[in-house]
Amino acid sequence: MTRHRDLHPLAWWLWAIGLATAASRTTNPLFLILIIAVAGYVVAARRPEQGWARGFRAYLILGLVVIGIRTVFHIIFGGGLGETVLFRLPELRLPDWAAGIRLGGAVSAEGLVSALYDGLRLATLLICVGAAVTLAEPRRLLRTLPGALYELGLVVVVAISLAPQLVESALRVRRARSLRGGSGTGLRAVASIGMPVLAMALDRAVALAAAMDARGYGRAGSVSAGARRLTAGLLLAGLLGLTLGAYGVLDASAQGGIGLTSLLIGVLASIAGLAVGSRRVLRSRYRTDRVDARSALVAASGVGAGICLVIVSRYDVATAYPSTYPLTAPQLALLPVLGLLLALAPAWIAPAPAGPAAAMPPTARSPGSPGSPGTRALAPGRADETAVSAAARS
Amino acid sequence: MPVGPKGVIAIAIASLFGVAAFGWPFLIGSRSGLADGLDAWLVFGGLLALVIVTVLALLADGTMDAKAVAMLGVLSAVAAAVRPLGAGTAGIEPLFFVIILGGRAFGPGFGFVLGSTALFSSALLTGGVGPWVPFQMFAAAWIAMGAGLLPRAAGRREVALLAAYGAVAAFAYGLVMNLSFWPFALGPLTSISFVPGDPVGDNLIRFLAYDLATSMGWDIGRAVTTAVLVGLTARPVLRALRRAGRRAAFDAQPEFAPAVPAAPPRLP
Repeated sequence: MTRHRDLHPLAWWLWAIGLATAASRTTNPLFLILIIAVAGYVVAARRPEQGWARGFRAYLILGLVVIGIRTVFHIIFGGGLGETVLFRLPELRLPDWAAGIRLGGAVSAEGLVSALYDGLRLATLLICVGAAVTLAEPRRLLRTLPGALYELGLVVVVAISLAPQLVESALRVRRARSLRGGSGTGLRAVASIGMPVLAMALDRAVALAAAMDARGYGRAGSVSAGARRLTAGLLLAGLLGLTLGAYGVLDASAQGGIGLTSLLIGVLASIAGLAVGSRRVLRSRYRTDRVDARSALVAASGVGAGICLVIVSRYDVATAYPSTYPLTAPQLALLPVLGLLLALAPAWIAPAPAGPAAAMPPTARSPGSPGSPGTRALAPGRADETAVSAAARS
Repeated sequence: MPVGPKGVIAIAIASLFGVAAFGWPFLIGSRSGLADGLDAWLVFGGLLALVIVTVLALLADGTMDAKAVAMLGVLSAVAAAVRPLGAGTAGIEPLFFVIILGGRAFGPGFGFVLGSTALFSSALLTGGVGPWVPFQMFAAAWIAMGAGLLPRAAGRREVALLAAYGAVAAFAYGLVMNLSFWPFALGPLTSISFVPGDPVGDNLIRFLAYDLATSMGWDIGRAVTTAVLVGLTARPVLRALRRAGRRAAFDAQPEFAPAVPAAPPRLP
């Protein structure tokens, strides 16, 4: 199987950013729940079967927590707006110097619904991020880093591949300690395990550095002084533009355009600096990530959904932000629903995840969908074999 | 890892941007277009990520040799490995003592990079990736850099200094992270929400009330545990780090002296 199966890692992120943009442009619970459903369906259909892909549930729980916190805080600190009073809590008013903070008091249906809408919007946003994390491992994004950030990418790769080994060596030290009769608990035990592990890790760092240095790593060779000065100048100009722009946007007295212009210049200069600086590092890649048609379609479907809701939030405010004073039932509209359903397309466009089932020879695969009972019954045995062979290889 | 004047300027400008990204609720004018807290958070989060990337690219160019890369990678791994130890236990954040001691041992520039890479690696490892990561990276970078900028001290005084700094830094970290969430976390309707265009004093009181109500207890717990961890581990860990830094000094420049006539080779 030599065919390149995976999507470009950025494709899923663009898709999710499009969906998140859609979520941030509306408080209509019907749209928001549709977005969660779309993201959840695509995750369920195209989730890789590796360990890190189980994190989606955590983001769903986080979303529920966000909604819960919002609601509780609204009930405790809520404003007294709205006529439909559901219940009353004992009220406490702080003195005037405390900015008129009010605890308790009447809780209205209007306020509660508005808090729920807002919480749901934030939860949806987080769930979109969770979908991207689940579908495209963030670590694979490191491969798309520009060359100017090569060292940083390397640092992170070293860190995430070394961290599990540290846990391993901590366990080894503890085993050695218990063989010598030391007890495995208490503050003293932590210190007597931690220091050897740290010493080992630092030794490893020195050895790694020596190995990299011996292979000529980190020698700035063929870059002219002029090119380096240009890179540094562009990057510094970018930083300056971004900072001035940020303060310009925040400051009321500045004319509106100046801050935004400066921000834009800063962004462009930074990106240009990164691009010029990337020529500093020449390296070859194993299995480059290519942008193929499917990746482009996946990204486009998410971005399209985002654009649809941006349009709706501009021209159909009542649908995008249903009124809560007075309470009205949220309405559906054709354009946003179609736009959001568009983002469902990756469930069919994207390649099926390469899991244990996909590794089977075609004859052994049962007919029907990947989730059919026959495949599922076979899958565990396969998974064991894969694990064993992976262990044997390493 | 010496950063040079270019790096110092870059970090200074980026820090100014960081002040705006965290503190915008208190800096914003009443006529600014950035009124919605969620939008501002996302926009500043994206720009902050770009700023971090730009600074790191500037710092990497020329100053980051193999030694720095290996040391940063290993210390980030240590920080990422100890971080889950504190999860679930009220407010313990073991990551801080690693980056504080690392920044102290190898200097402010190294600390700035270490703070951001440590936080980023641990976010990748534990799956806590989200729009909050750039804010956490920047705050951690400041903390580790600050440890490197502390005045010189030795022995017990250094340990006391670092422990006190750890407590202040851990508390401030909680405060600024809260500040980044506050403008949108509660929605506009509660009496402790951010009100765009209100006087700074009123918003500040509301923010402190929010902080008190949500996480002040956790932050105090984190400050205490960080100070205790730093106080207990500073001496042996700093000694180990400095020793590793000395041992990795294989970058020494060779010096060529005029040849000295050697003794005639003796054959066995």
